[in-house]
Amino acid sequence: MARDKDGLEISIPLRLYRSGLTTPSLSTAPFKVDEGYSDDTRSQADKELSRTPSDDVMSIPDWVLAHNEVERAEIAYNLLLTLRTSTVASVVERLTPLLHMDPVLKLPPEITSEIFSYLEPQTLLTASLASRAWRSRVFDSRLWKDLYIGEGWRVDIDAIRAFEQEQSALPQSRKSRSRYADTDLGEPKLKKRVPSGWLDSRSLGSDDNSVSAAEVQQLLAAQKVEIDGDHPLPELQNTSSSNPQETESGDGPENRPSKAIQRTLSVKSPLLIRMPNGSVKVDWPYLYRQRRRLEDNWVKGRYTNFQLPHPAHMDEAHGECVYAIQFIGKWLVSGSRDKTVRVWDLETKRLWHRPLLGHKKSVLCLQFDPSPSEDIIVSGSSDKSVIVWRFSTGEKIHEIVPAHDDSVLNLRFDSRYLVTCSKDKLIKVWNRRHLSPLDEAYPNVSHGVGVTYPSYIIDTSEIPSPVLEAEIAKNHIRALAPYSLLMALAGHTAAVNAIQLNNDEIVSASGDRVIRVWNVRNGVCKRVILGHDKGIACVQSDDMRIVSGSNDNTVRIFDHVSGAQVACLQGHTNLVRTVQAGFGDPPGSEEALRLEALAVDQDFWDAQRSGRAVDLGPAAMRRAGYRQNTTGSRDPRDINAVGALIPPGGGGSKWGKIVSGSYDESVIIWRKDSKGEWVVSQTLRQADAAARAAHIAPTNTPSRSGPLRGNAFAQLAALAAQARPAPPQPLPSAPVNNTASNHQGNSSIPAQPSNTGQNPPQNHETPVLPNYANFMNLVATNLHLRPPAQSPTSRIFKIQFDARKIVCASQDPRIVVWDFVGDDEELNEACQFFTGL
Amino acid sequence: MAETNNQELTFTSSDGKNMKVPRDVAERSLLIKNMLEDLGDATEAIPIPNVSENVLTKVLEWCTHHRNDPPTTGDEDDSRRKTTDIEEWDQKFMQVDQEMLFEIILAANYLDIKPLLDIGCKTVANMIKGKSPEEIRKTFNIQNDFTPEEEDQIRRENEWAEE
Repeated sequence: MARDKDGLEISIPLRLYRSGLTTPSLSTAPFKVDEGYSDDTRSQADKELSRTPSDDVMSIPDWVLAHNEVERAEIAYNLLLTLRTSTVASVVERLTPLLHMDPVLKLPPEITSEIFSYLEPQTLLTASLASRAWRSRVFDSRLWKDLYIGEGWRVDIDAIRAFEQEQSALPQSRKSRSRYADTDLGEPKLKKRVPSGWLDSRSLGSDDNSVSAAEVQQLLAAQKVEIDGDHPLPELQNTSSSNPQETESGDGPENRPSKAIQRTLSVKSPLLIRMPNGSVKVDWPYLYRQRRRLEDNWVKGRYTNFQLPHPAHMDEAHGECVYAIQFIGKWLVSGSRDKTVRVWDLETKRLWHRPLLGHKKSVLCLQFDPSPSEDIIVSGSSDKSVIVWRFSTGEKIHEIVPAHDDSVLNLRFDSRYLVTCSKDKLIKVWNRRHLSPLDEAYPNVSHGVGVTYPSYIIDTSEIPSPVLEAEIAKNHIRALAPYSLLMALAGHTAAVNAIQLNNDEIVSASGDRVIRVWNVRNGVCKRVILGHDKGIACVQSDDMRIVSGSNDNTVRIFDHVSGAQVACLQGHTNLVRTVQAGFGDPPGSEEALRLEALAVDQDFWDAQRSGRAVDLGPAAMRRAGYRQNTTGSRDPRDINAVGALIPPGGGGSKWGKIVSGSYDESVIIWRKDSKGEWVVSQTLRQADAAARAAHIAPTNTPSRSGPLRGNAFAQLAALAAQARPAPPQPLPSAPVNNTASNHQGNSSIPAQPSNTGQNPPQNHETPVLPNYANFMNLVATNLHLRPPAQSPTSRIFKIQFDARKIVCASQDPRIVVWDFVGDDEELNEACQFFTGL
Repeated sequence: MAETNNQELTFTSSDGKNMKVPRDVAERSLLIKNMLEDLGDATEAIPIPNVSENVLTKVLEWCTHHRNDPPTTGDEDDSRRKTTDIEEWDQKFMQVDQEMLFEIILAANYLDIKPLLDIGCKTVANMIKGKSPEEIRKTFNIQNDFTPEEEDQIRRENEWAEE
């Protein structure tokens, strides 16, 4: 008896009284019919159960009901024992539904939402097939918003809010209710889980992580590339007598932003859900899905290419190679060896206003901020000067001449400071605004080594503040004018190629193979990070890591806090000139990363204690004949340093990516494989992109991953033939390439070696307009005339990527873009809200 | 401190049963804890109107086992990637019929016992994981109210998420 009792566990209410054990119908009931076929739900049985009591309910004798639950269970059990096995089975079958109940019906939306929050998107989609009620619960906006954020993806939350408000205000003539929104109006109201600040990523100003991440390094004075000096310099290859001024006058008054791309969205847009109160919200499940599709395009290398300028307006192009670019929203600013700075509209692909003239030599670096409160471009040049321009008008508003004793290789600014670095081995800090010794941003004079201050900088710690205030009141001490030198930081023993400014920290990378971290407030060098085998060309940092690219052909990731190297990425075959990393950290991941790193350290110590051949540092391992995998492996033998606060590889979401550009003329997209190790995901060649971009996009062509070899040339020729008359000024001849010089003719296209015989698909005879000749030479060179040993034509100088595209500046005067949205309209629409990793 | 912890409270379940509960066990419920903080000592029985005796017994069993756990701090679990791992004792504890499982979840939600709510939700999540739609329907006795055409269409719409 006791055993039976255990078997039945009291708390299950069997509800015998309700369902009624009607005997005869039992054995024929659904059980038999469905035998051996389980593809049906129990719900039919359930219906039957709930229906029966009303009609042929078998009343249960009062004496049975008088017993308590345990006793009644005993009676039922014993009663069942009197039945044939098959009958028992059918009873069990009919009882099953009572033991299985639908959580979506039983639990309120906020709890099912909590349950679903533990599930992967794939599982959720499967679950959405269970029933309509499940589908509506699964497609819960908050849930998918959290999933989106959890992937490490970011959105422009301000743009979303503005969009929702704008769309809500529209007349509600066409009601477009989402089919998901109808069923489940009870939107779960659990507390907000993501701090709103997290969502905001497009915030302006370089204080912001994502913006500084969007930017990074600049570098190397063009020439004599610090670094071991073994790189031919663009300067040496220049054979032309280009004159930038000529180009500038070429572009007429029609350079207003055009309305080519309009983002008019009807309420029918799949982006939106109409709420019961008439307001409109973005559909997060939809946004998630579109972002996922976009990321898949990156992984699979699906993209289209375009170029700046638009191929029909080649007269707007830089005259020589482009060293610096930055884009924010639809604006892109570029700086070139042709001494100009140009502002582009990425939507029209056209020059926005006239090229900015002022530098006397190559423009090597720049940063801009188009927000109305800043509205500036700051550029640095090999003429040693820095110029501050008004972004919206292109006028020069300030000039630091000279800023350094040699080329200004990189610069960064935030609302307080401008920081510049130079081939003269120094880093200099300047104030952006009037600065009084009482201001927070005023330097804290330190008497350490390496930092020097101009004589007008006061050591405020030596003057009691009442005295200081009095002095200022009496005008004995004046506020510093904007762009005064605050301090100069010495320490690097070679050119300082790249710097970052991140809150109060400067990170610098130099040809001396060292990365230094400085305090911008007092100029003290806080940390020296070693690791690269040759000079460092570029650097980027966030709070957790520092990523750098070097003449040792590698990209390395260092723990920001300890300086430990956590990954070394090998794939380029020449100097890595530019790098940007997007780790895609989900909110609050720092703690998780720290714990992960501790676990890895622990494994290392365990391995060492147990006598396994582990040792820090590559040399020891190489001696032991072991080739370390330093791309993020957690094998104790691969660990280069302990004590890092981030795990091998540097952490981040599975969507994290690093994009690097090299003198090997390629751009590599690095991703993490399933083991969390960095691998080459895509290798993109600048020349291929340029060839594809030159062919005017007749839109709606499917994106392709392969180069367009033979065709591009023909298309180009055709294009040139159709093009409207060109302005009279000839384009400066292509300077980037020696081999182009034998095709200098202005009216003929170079013969195409690969295409002989009498079926010429290429119309060589097509008369082309003079302006395009040089451009074509360039394309021809890239496509066909490049013997292996030829001098490079498309070394990469600078890349920047965001959620949808990589923009690339190189030896080629054209700026090329890989756009991973391709021709996908839906994706294009959703992309307005996506920001990078 | 120890004295207040040892104080015995009385709960009255929705079906009118009284149960003695040590204060530290009862305070696993933030609802109760906050109430006690507001009211001072509760000498009278505390009605728990939404939870029946058998469920309350189960919930208190959990609270007793976890009476010495460090208190949870708000959003901490949000920061980490959500795992559905459940420690062994809790797993066993959750091996109950579905009705009881859902009742525990509802009670944990009502009484504001976040760790118990989490375990309950994880348990249900684990029942969904790795199953086909049909298996999910079977598990929870869900009636499929899609037409075959609709189901086909949804399957096609879902293809984007496949690895």
